[in-house]
Amino acid sequence: MITTRKTKMKLSDYLQRGKNRTEMALGLLFVLPAALFCILFDWYPTIDGIIMAFYDWNGYDAPIFVGIQNFIDLFAHDELFLKSMKNMSIFVIGGLVLMFPTIIASVVLFRVRNSKAKYVYRVLFCIPMVIPFIVGLLMWQYIYNPQFGFLNQLLKQIGLESLRGVWLGDADLAIWSLLFMGFPWVTTGAVLIYIGGLQGVDSAIWEVSQLDGVGPVKKFFALEFPLILGQFKLNLIGAITAGVTGYTLQMIMTNGGPAFSTLVPGLYMYQLAFKSHRYGDAAAISIVLFAVSLLLSWVSIKFIKSKED
Amino acid sequence: MEQATTKPFPRKIGWAELLKHATLIVTCVLLFFPFLLMLQMSLKTQKQIIFELFQIKSPFHYDNYAKAFREIWPLVGNSFMMAIVSVVLSVFLASLAGYAFARLRFPFKRVLFAIFFLKMLIPGVANLIPSYKLALHLGILDTYLPVILFCAGTTMPFWVFVMRTFIEQQPKELFESMRIDGAKEWRIFSSLAMPLMRAMVVLMSINVFTFIWNDYIWPLVTIPTNTALYPITLGLARLATLYKGQLGVLTAGYTLACIPLLILFIFTMRHFIDGLTSGSVKM
Repeated sequence: MITTRKTKMKLSDYLQRGKNRTEMALGLLFVLPAALFCILFDWYPTIDGIIMAFYDWNGYDAPIFVGIQNFIDLFAHDELFLKSMKNMSIFVIGGLVLMFPTIIASVVLFRVRNSKAKYVYRVLFCIPMVIPFIVGLLMWQYIYNPQFGFLNQLLKQIGLESLRGVWLGDADLAIWSLLFMGFPWVTTGAVLIYIGGLQGVDSAIWEVSQLDGVGPVKKFFALEFPLILGQFKLNLIGAITAGVTGYTLQMIMTNGGPAFSTLVPGLYMYQLAFKSHRYGDAAAISIVLFAVSLLLSWVSIKFIKSKED
Repeated sequence: MEQATTKPFPRKIGWAELLKHATLIVTCVLLFFPFLLMLQMSLKTQKQIIFELFQIKSPFHYDNYAKAFREIWPLVGNSFMMAIVSVVLSVFLASLAGYAFARLRFPFKRVLFAIFFLKMLIPGVANLIPSYKLALHLGILDTYLPVILFCAGTTMPFWVFVMRTFIEQQPKELFESMRIDGAKEWRIFSSLAMPLMRAMVVLMSINVFTFIWNDYIWPLVTIPTNTALYPITLGLARLATLYKGQLGVLTAGYTLACIPLLILFIFTMRHFIDGLTSGSVKM
């Protein structure tokens, strides 16, 4: 019985397909260009990068297979790499701590009663997203300028001249100056995502909490934060990946200096590849970064449980 | 969420409410502070910036903008070219593929879908050097092509997935009725699927556009010598060395670089905010 039914299905399926031969061809035709782009410009470099990490290549001569020697060199003999990893961990931890002003701003914005005011704030919060990233960086570079930068002029103006510093030129200060950038550390894109999460929650919850007279602080820890854990996790992974692999900031602001105090592995990778032409070593660094970001993301998914899980 | 407790004439605005507004206003002021500083500096000479940073008074130096404009304008054109072509190419291909995955049956469908899906899970953090190597071997360095092609390639996985999910959520009957009426697949795609996907298309377009507009390292690597093709990001960095010590001109240039995206934002604001708020992903 079952077998005959199966053959019947297959037969009708077959007939159906025969009728739609053009559909099949068109389906392939529609998908193949996108697939081709993805394979050639995304998959191929990814795989090539993994292979390159096991070779010595200077960009001109034929690559030489060296096995895991590149990785051994990095961890055993390369002090700059180890220093850059240490700096990276400061940036990652700093980045995680600095996620919280955004969450607080989101909750405060969500709690505003007047819906018109709420909309105006949301529009205002969108604007920093469309201002070119590099403009923000260049303005902060000016703010930190030791001679006539805003920060030092401000300190002079309010009579705290003794606190004036060479913010980005001081090996002890530079990394903290970079972390301070973007004060008050509200990532506006993330605010909208959190708001979206809070809006998705059944409004009865807020009414009940109001009737119960839950205080604002308790409401945050008992309701709002747990409710946006899903979005938090997503942003957390974004922050980890950015912290581990990003280096545009360090490249433009300090180029890793002074005295390598702001050198991060991504920037070191860039310098090895494009300044020293040590492509194999650079590829090995990128594999390490890839593994670290994947591991940290996995750990954060695993250990932070959201409501939906 | 509109709260039921909001009255048409709130007679008393409590301390708590005031505190919320104060927090948000202070946050906004601090957020915009560097850009307000930029705006007022862009109208000053170097002397005024050094000695009268905290005063806003005439004479205003609009000539800063004239100088910056000459340097910035061609580069704005470059960024625009790269961004527009990237947007058109990647949005078109992603929605075409998304539609096919959601509504058509064809051989190797699962394998082809896996190509996109798996790449979404494996981020391309290690791609910079091998991508450069590929562009070098293709002989396309010092052209617009590396920026355009690689952007289309890397945006594909995520957005094909988004487009497919979106089309799948639309009622099947719409597509079936058009097919029964004898419409060809291409017509179904162009006059039914594309209009349905409008919000997603806007969101993806802005996303790709801002990505190209902000990209610094990739063009730096792939347009090494041809400064005539520099995008705005590289141009601003170069301006900073060219006009070193002329902060008025520099900040005028920074201001000019902000304008195109701000205009784009004003026209698409509603889609942008709604898309970001409602499309927030849960994990």
